[in-house]
Amino acid sequence: MNPYLSMRGITKVYKDMEVPANSNVDFEVKTGEIHALIGENGAGKTTLMKILYGLELPEAGDIYIKDQEVKIHSPLEANRLGIGMVHQHFKLIGDFTVAENIVLGIEPKKNLFFVNREEAIKKVAEVIEKHNFHIDPSTKVSKLTVGQMQQVEIIKMLYRNVDLLVLDEPTSVLTEQEIQRLFETLRYLLTLGKTIIIITHKLNEVMEIASRVSVMRKGVMVATRNIKEVDKKELARLMIGKSVLFQINKEIVACGEPVVELKDVTLYQRGRQTPLLQDLNFSVHSCEILGLAGVGGNGLGELEDILSGLRKISKGKIYHNEENVTNLGAEALRNRGFAYVPADRLNRGSSLTTTVKENLIVSNHHSFLSRGVIKRKMVQDFVDTLQKGFSIDGDPDKPIGTLSGGNIQKVILARELAGKTDFIIFSEPTWGLDIASSQFVYEKILEIRKQGVAVLLISSNLDELLSLADRIIVLYKGRIVANRINDDTLDNEGVGEYMLGLRDDFARKGDNHGE
Amino acid sequence: MVSGMILPEKGITMANKKSIKEHLAGAVGLLITLAAAFIIVLILVFLLSKDPLRTISYFFSGPFRNKFYFGNMINASIPLIFTGLGISLAFKSSMFNLGGEGQVYSGGLAATAVCLALPLANPFLGSIFALIAAFAAGGIIAGLSGVFKMAWDTDELITSFLISSALILIVDFIITGPMDDPTNNLLATSPIPLQYRFLKIYPPSKLDISLFFALFFAAGVYFFMNRTHWGYEMRMCGLNREFARYGGINVGKFMVIPMILSGGLHGLGGGFAILGTYDMCLKGFSGGMGWNGIAVALIAKNNPLAVIPAALFFAYLEAGAKAAMLHSDVTFEIAAIVQSVIFYLVTAQALYGLVSSKKRKAL
Repeated sequence: MNPYLSMRGITKVYKDMEVPANSNVDFEVKTGEIHALIGENGAGKTTLMKILYGLELPEAGDIYIKDQEVKIHSPLEANRLGIGMVHQHFKLIGDFTVAENIVLGIEPKKNLFFVNREEAIKKVAEVIEKHNFHIDPSTKVSKLTVGQMQQVEIIKMLYRNVDLLVLDEPTSVLTEQEIQRLFETLRYLLTLGKTIIIITHKLNEVMEIASRVSVMRKGVMVATRNIKEVDKKELARLMIGKSVLFQINKEIVACGEPVVELKDVTLYQRGRQTPLLQDLNFSVHSCEILGLAGVGGNGLGELEDILSGLRKISKGKIYHNEENVTNLGAEALRNRGFAYVPADRLNRGSSLTTTVKENLIVSNHHSFLSRGVIKRKMVQDFVDTLQKGFSIDGDPDKPIGTLSGGNIQKVILARELAGKTDFIIFSEPTWGLDIASSQFVYEKILEIRKQGVAVLLISSNLDELLSLADRIIVLYKGRIVANRINDDTLDNEGVGEYMLGLRDDFARKGDNHGE
Repeated sequence: MVSGMILPEKGITMANKKSIKEHLAGAVGLLITLAAAFIIVLILVFLLSKDPLRTISYFFSGPFRNKFYFGNMINASIPLIFTGLGISLAFKSSMFNLGGEGQVYSGGLAATAVCLALPLANPFLGSIFALIAAFAAGGIIAGLSGVFKMAWDTDELITSFLISSALILIVDFIITGPMDDPTNNLLATSPIPLQYRFLKIYPPSKLDISLFFALFFAAGVYFFMNRTHWGYEMRMCGLNREFARYGGINVGKFMVIPMILSGGLHGLGGGFAILGTYDMCLKGFSGGMGWNGIAVALIAKNNPLAVIPAALFFAYLEAGAKAAMLHSDVTFEIAAIVQSVIFYLVTAQALYGLVSSKKRKAL
């Protein structure tokens, strides 16, 4: 059978990113199949689907639908070609009714100008009835559960008569029962002759629902397999890949005292049954790089927020140098010597419209004060020193947004390493950086480790973790599933199995989570 | 900027070129807006006035025809400088104070009450007390909205407006009820003692020494925002609250402080108007000062120093409308329409800049 969709040689390079998000990607989907597109965070799955849906234009490559070459410049064109997408973050308007959301953009008109509400509700009700959904088209979307909102998105696509439905991480926000209901819906859509692409990184779900699977890694399509011919281990190996060793000269430094210690740290979220983080116990020692791995959505981001004082925990204790610092705010933690290089460097780590200079002093502007006035001469000297020391390329009086990604990260590093610190969090410190900038970051991390600082390194780049970390902890569904010394017994595949929930060193008896 | 263009780094040169271009675009835009406003005014006046040339001439040159008009125009800009400063300070911190009207009015009443309560005090100390009371009245009222936002995440835009609207009625009641002076046949309190009334500096107009205070405060707010510890923290909160919180700045505190300062400046505007211009608290004396302050801040793009010319421009429009009304056949309503047309266009231009820069930020 000819493929329904065929993407050939797709290449996409984002500005400020030296590594292409998609590099010469070939991707084929057959009519009437559920095709899973899997890969780690940042592997390029979403970019590829954005190109298919007209949200991004590729630098190179062609798209064919039923052997016809097509150019897709906008989601509306994609809809016209029969392609629909359900985004990870729903594109719904909370104050509109279900029907209004579904007809949005193609509303039935009355007298040229006015939306025909009755007609809209009637038409939507027909679609809902026909496909056996249980949603009242006149309810406001803000009153629906997350699972129902997703159904609305799917109904929206059915209303538009799409033949190919793309779902971006559809299960990440759903409960177990809602996931099962979604899968029933997807199987039903297959019987209508629809074709489905599902983007995910959850291997259990791939095995359950998909008939074929394509794996992406670092912007490259590495394999496409029939589901019957692979197992989860094989997929994990394909996703994570073989280790690429970095050029890092890591000296052996004896581990010191624990600097930060977590005791039974638990985080609940209102409206969620399972905790986001559950009974975390670990400590970070001086002269130690503790690597923290996990697939997105398993609690890494929450832990990052907690240890930087931006989020409060529900239960447990956190100690710094044996003093209780549980739920202290960012200011108090910084005063105690915490430093933090966040993953979100464009919104949290810097203020894009603010000058480089003012970005550099946000955490230590107190030290330039004389009777409440900031001494500009002192700031200038400080900024000059940092700019030289970290070879930051750019005008310190211009907004930091005018700098390149690598230079923005250097500004953040310079600021965080400038103060007296004994505990520092690095979250995705080299994400999107080129090799030279990454190398610079690694050297800095190793340098402060040698000085006795306790380092927590959160990264989705396993090569980076395995090259730098002294110990590695893996989080899966908010729990620690591995806490191991990083020695020869630990490799990419091993960590990958922990990350995907295939292995658990701390499993309780009778608790077969992950299945 | 020229020196920037010869720097070898490509990125910097480009950024500079862009900003020059943007500045030029901004200036050209403002000129086009003013020209369009002028044309619309001409059309309106030709339609509505029997003697259009006389009307136009008074509208534009009226404020400069004699010392009285000119001085009063400058005097009218003084409260607008205070309210404009108050608004720009709040906006810079990403806090929205829509309660200016009530804050000015309450500040005026508080200053009057202090003056009346201390009939024999030293004029210097007495007026300082009166101004502190004015600042405190406005500051507390606006500060409440900041506290509510910090504690319960209520929208300060709505609470400040609601609180102010209620207060206007209460102040109205106090002026016409408990504090009304039946001897002066006005809906007003008794006049404040003579020693508190500010020195007039440009007779026969009402212009008084408050002008120097207004200029001083504009410079002060500029220095405060750009050079001091709190100013820095407030601006960081305003530009990116997530970043400020990450950097260890207490963002809750800077929901309250900008509102207190903003309300305080509004209150001072009311206080200075009483001591300098009105000599007693008249019912509704401050009507429009709060709203116009928002417009002034918008035109000034929240720059405290630019607030001065923006307030003068606004006062000029108002004085022109008044002059045209007195010396030709246009009625108050027509003068007001002409004035608002100019004003709408200029604010639209200022707003457009604000919105498009926000959009750029979002991208």
